[in-house]
Amino acid sequence: MGTRALEYDYTVSKWFLITTIILGIVGLLIGVIIALEMAYPELNNLFGEYGTFGRLKVLHTNTIIYGFVLSGVFSSWYYIAQHVLKVSLHESPFLQIMAKVHYFTYLLVIVLALISLLLGISTSKEYSEFEWPIDIFVVIFWLSWGIGISGLIGIRREKSLYISIWYFMATFLVVTALYLFNNMSIPTYFITGTGAWYHSVSVYAGSNDAMIQWWFGNNMVEFILTIPIIAMIYYFLPKEAGQAVYSYKLSLLSFWTLIFVYFLAGGHNLIYSTVPDWVQTVGSLFSIVLILPSWGNAINMLLTMKGEWQQLQTNQLIKFMVMASTFYMFSTLEGSIQAIKSVNALAHFTDWIPGHVHNGALGWDGFMIIAAAFHMAPRIFKREIYSKKLMNIQFWTQTVGIVLYFSSMWIAGITQGMMWRATDQYGNLAHSFIDTVIMIHPYFVIRSIGGVLYLVGFLFFTYNFYKTITLGRRLEYYELKNTSPMATI
Amino acid sequence: MTDKLIMSAVMLAIVIFSIVYAVADQYIGDDTVNILSIIAAGTIVGFTAIIIIQYLNQIKNDHATGELIENNWDGIGEYKNELPFGWAISFVLTLIFTIWYFLSGYPLNAFSQIGQYNEEVNIHNAKFETTFENADEETLNDMGESIFLVQCTPCHGITGDGIDAKAADFRTWGTEKGIINSIVNGSRGLGYAMNEMPAGLLGVNDAKAVASYIMAKISDYGKTSNPELIEQGKDLYATCAVCHGDDGKGMYGTSADLTKYGTSAFVIDVLQSGKKGFIGTMPTYRVEDHIMTPIQQKAVGTFILSLSK
Amino acid sequence: MFNWLEKHPLFLGIVIFLFVSFAWIVTILPNFAEMARPTVGTKPYTVLELAGRGVYIKDSCNACHSQMIRPFKSETDRYGIYSLSGEYAYDRPSLWGSKRTGPDLLRVGNYRTTDWHENHMLNPTSVVTGSIMPKYPHMFKNLADIDTAWAEAETVRKVFSVPYNEPLIQKDGTYQSVKLASTIEEAKADALAEAKLVASDMKTKSVIDAIERGEIPEIVALIAYMNSLK
Repeated sequence: MGTRALEYDYTVSKWFLITTIILGIVGLLIGVIIALEMAYPELNNLFGEYGTFGRLKVLHTNTIIYGFVLSGVFSSWYYIAQHVLKVSLHESPFLQIMAKVHYFTYLLVIVLALISLLLGISTSKEYSEFEWPIDIFVVIFWLSWGIGISGLIGIRREKSLYISIWYFMATFLVVTALYLFNNMSIPTYFITGTGAWYHSVSVYAGSNDAMIQWWFGNNMVEFILTIPIIAMIYYFLPKEAGQAVYSYKLSLLSFWTLIFVYFLAGGHNLIYSTVPDWVQTVGSLFSIVLILPSWGNAINMLLTMKGEWQQLQTNQLIKFMVMASTFYMFSTLEGSIQAIKSVNALAHFTDWIPGHVHNGALGWDGFMIIAAAFHMAPRIFKREIYSKKLMNIQFWTQTVGIVLYFSSMWIAGITQGMMWRATDQYGNLAHSFIDTVIMIHPYFVIRSIGGVLYLVGFLFFTYNFYKTITLGRRLEYYELKNTSPMATI
Repeated sequence: MTDKLIMSAVMLAIVIFSIVYAVADQYIGDDTVNILSIIAAGTIVGFTAIIIIQYLNQIKNDHATGELIENNWDGIGEYKNELPFGWAISFVLTLIFTIWYFLSGYPLNAFSQIGQYNEEVNIHNAKFETTFENADEETLNDMGESIFLVQCTPCHGITGDGIDAKAADFRTWGTEKGIINSIVNGSRGLGYAMNEMPAGLLGVNDAKAVASYIMAKISDYGKTSNPELIEQGKDLYATCAVCHGDDGKGMYGTSADLTKYGTSAFVIDVLQSGKKGFIGTMPTYRVEDHIMTPIQQKAVGTFILSLSK
Repeated sequence: MFNWLEKHPLFLGIVIFLFVSFAWIVTILPNFAEMARPTVGTKPYTVLELAGRGVYIKDSCNACHSQMIRPFKSETDRYGIYSLSGEYAYDRPSLWGSKRTGPDLLRVGNYRTTDWHENHMLNPTSVVTGSIMPKYPHMFKNLADIDTAWAEAETVRKVFSVPYNEPLIQKDGTYQSVKLASTIEEAKADALAEAKLVASDMKTKSVIDAIERGEIPEIVALIAYMNSLK
């Protein structure tokens, strides 16, 4: 390791960080709007065709996954990689340019996505709705990230790759394959010379297409919403707490089993559909096997904090990360058990599934990215965090929001599922479909409240962040070298 | 403060699960899927809570030990600690379960969801179709009402009044008054080869007489509220016989079979053919399409006719 | 071994990739051909139906409605016979959906009619009390994209040999073929003729007027698509 302290280049990390926050607000706001639309459908027609649930739901999922989360992942990469590879972007003008190409192409995709999705230009494939022209730009920014990854690894000083790097590498490699395969489509204009130039038709059809869609969808959830977030917690938690990771063996075994098993669990999105029974069985079984690798990483992080209870109480960041680990465990157990065929027979198509989604998205992804932002901000902007008290208020507001969200969706989903199956004493269906819709209205209202709370907490966060970078006490060099500037507040 | 935190988390988990159970309880019945789902929900919340509490306990009361590996990354070290025992055992157990499941429990190709479905239908048929094969009027009426509430109310209304003439009004349709309506207003859209019955073939008073003749003498219903008009109706019936036949049976299916009128069989005819009504189209509820069974159709017929009584 | 891999990122990357590839090779490839085979009676979509499918996708109907009937008696009682893989052979992409905020639509053509859809899309609560579905008045004004629909049909015919203009055996043993015009002008005329049939059951004046003018509003195409779902 060099004796001269490295001057890291946080430019692009900073840009991505600010983008994360802005897109987080946009994504959460749209989420609140569509939650309210489900409770109060008159809201759907306030902005003509552009404000209807169908248009906004697609915008919501894309803004959160590819906007909020992915931006946070990229920001963290450009921060963490320099630290654990012991190399600065300043040392390679080429990589600095690559990082900027990455950022600006990414931004272009976000803008194009916003416009096209509002217009209803969509392939209909979940989390893969962009038509082919935008897909091309996605490939460009993704590959520029890949070049950045390999370049930085190539010029690294620290020869042995830290856990976080394995996870980032896996994210890059796997998503490349997933995105390319799932989006394979033929632009119809070039074959016929007629129709919309941006329209394409999927090369896959029917059940095969569904298999590919869910092989993609399930693994996007893994490789964008889990794997890189694990990369982040493996850096930010031990670093913030000043503790060593509990067990190298556990991290190693969890990594390899996680990436291997997750792919086999993909069939669990297609249970009782027309894909072959054996594919469904494989998906169901391996979802159970998946519980332990997922929990392995969370447990590793909790055990890293052994004996550090007082840090959990005084350091707000640690609170966020420990709660994130808790929701990660909760969500992964929930998903695996929902994949058991008999449970799935009830749960599939109900609101129990969005309940599961948001446990992970709000609890695990949201909290981790917020924690990452709070860790990076003081070091990037060289300012002390503005208000620890506000962090605490934010934490509790958002936690209550998540609890309201998932409990209302559990009640709605389970009841809905049971009502769909219910028969009277003559063996005839006991409830019409609309009966079930009317029944769950109150839970849609509660869910909206949960969402509003989470958004409000996020706005506290934004305010805190803004005040930090404009008004926070400037940090001295020696303070930055400490484990955490949190300790000084 | 910290124990309070753990206690409140446990209480919260119990409260949430209890609310879920309380709301869902009325629908559980003896459906194994429902029971398993409730158990699943409880397991998810309970198991997570138990494990998390154990680890929070370790955070609180234990301390970090172990031998560090030589390397560290930006100050982050790693211990050489062993895998947590409980975790490792659980993992091995899930793997053993998986191997067992593949090899002897449910070998990959032995389970068939269609087979499971066929079994479900057979069990249902054995239980219900034979039970209600010779159901009495009251049972048919009840059964019909529950089907009606799910399938028919969207257009015919909860009381079967046809929601402001959107659909047939069962307070009169299928009764003697219904015949008068059809004669005066015509009838269309049942898909008969003879096409539509035109409106105004007879005046209202004549229609009344014909209606009583048809109800009393032609249809299986066999009764009329105006027996004094039967003779007059019989003479006027010639107008109807042109399409419906002298026996009223419908000229080999080319027009409506009036002998069924006033019984559930007439309703079943409509269920099988659908009807393009005056303002909309009623879909079919055919046995061949697996939408209703013959007993269910009979039940619906019984119930609908009861609405006019 | 792992220590070595951690110092050699290229090989680490390759091993990661191989690890994940195992699953998709083992699960997706084996039944690929079999699942693609259409069942008897499955027909490709007409241009008008495809345009309607385009409207369905544009407004994300699949976000709330599924098109997959699972083999449970409670499902088949409610929606019709369970789905078969081959029924979706010409669905590009498949619209199975993952959520039922509203009911499954796979066989909606069997129990809902043109005029019901007309009322429902304009104002859902007028035919379903308590519905939370949005109103879609814009579908009555916007025109369906017939050009793109024909382009898509031509593309799948050329590239994937989807059997347009070929006699296909139906469940009752007869043969039917779905016509696909070879020029866009002819296709538009065919679509208009089909649209006229659909619109003859409709009552909204603006729609009827549009059809008279030779224009096809989105709602007519959408209804044609919905009616084809049997």
